[in-house]
Amino acid sequence: MDLRTRWALVRFGITFLSLFAGWLLFTWSLDSGSLLAGGVSSLAVSLVTYPIFVEETEAGRRAHLPRPHMFLLFLAALVFSMYVASFRVLWRILRGDINPRVVHFRTRLKTDIARVVLTSSITLTPGTITLDLDDDHLVVHWLDAQTTHSRYAGMLIKGAYEKLLRGVWL
Amino acid sequence: MNVGAAVFLGLGVLFSIMGNVGVLVFPDPYTRLQASSTCTTTSVLSFFIGCMFIVGWGPMLGRLLVITLFFFVTSPISAHIIARFAWKSGVVPWRKSFAMKRHAERRDD
Repeated sequence: MDLRTRWALVRFGITFLSLFAGWLLFTWSLDSGSLLAGGVSSLAVSLVTYPIFVEETEAGRRAHLPRPHMFLLFLAALVFSMYVASFRVLWRILRGDINPRVVHFRTRLKTDIARVVLTSSITLTPGTITLDLDDDHLVVHWLDAQTTHSRYAGMLIKGAYEKLLRGVWL
Repeated sequence: MNVGAAVFLGLGVLFSIMGNVGVLVFPDPYTRLQASSTCTTTSVLSFFIGCMFIVGWGPMLGRLLVITLFFFVTSPISAHIIARFAWKSGVVPWRKSFAMKRHAERRDD
């Protein structure tokens, strides 16, 4: 069994486990029938989709095994800052006083999934939308721009997220 | 229905209404997208948290968590796709100086 086949098997396993965990959470039952249906459908779906779910070149161990406690911390920080930013945007809408600018900055995260999670959380936070992501270069539309200086804007927008995500993935 | 559910459902209603007002008020596609997609994201999250308070501990909570996670994955991607298409097709983002310039021109006439 060469390296490529073994890596394909591991990717298949990761896809199957993620799907099956989702099934267990969604059905919340341990009936043999339910488990069988979930297992068979997870097998079928992961047979088709494992090359997309885990890229062949994404081979770092830390890219697939996030630290769960750090991830929960990150989710809590995300929800909290979403509410704070929502109230800020609400105030902007009421006042009708906006200063939108497009800012460019770079991220120091290495793995693809960490970068995608970073861009998604920037978009989830009200007041900022990621327009483009090219390797480590982000283009962000900022509703209430305080600066267009690249490093300072990056610090304000992604600062806490990036610090937490470096603990989760890399 | 307990207090937490009432608070979060109220927040959801507030954010949803203000997001829609923002769509009408704001000047260009990007800022409208900011108002519609991101404020509505927070409002839907508030609704989910309110529902979690209502159902309490049980199988339904797991389902709500899965739905919330799925929403967290899909919602920013749809907003990002629209914004990226506008950016790639060269829509110029509105700036504060545009409004000032128009104001100055109107005063000159």
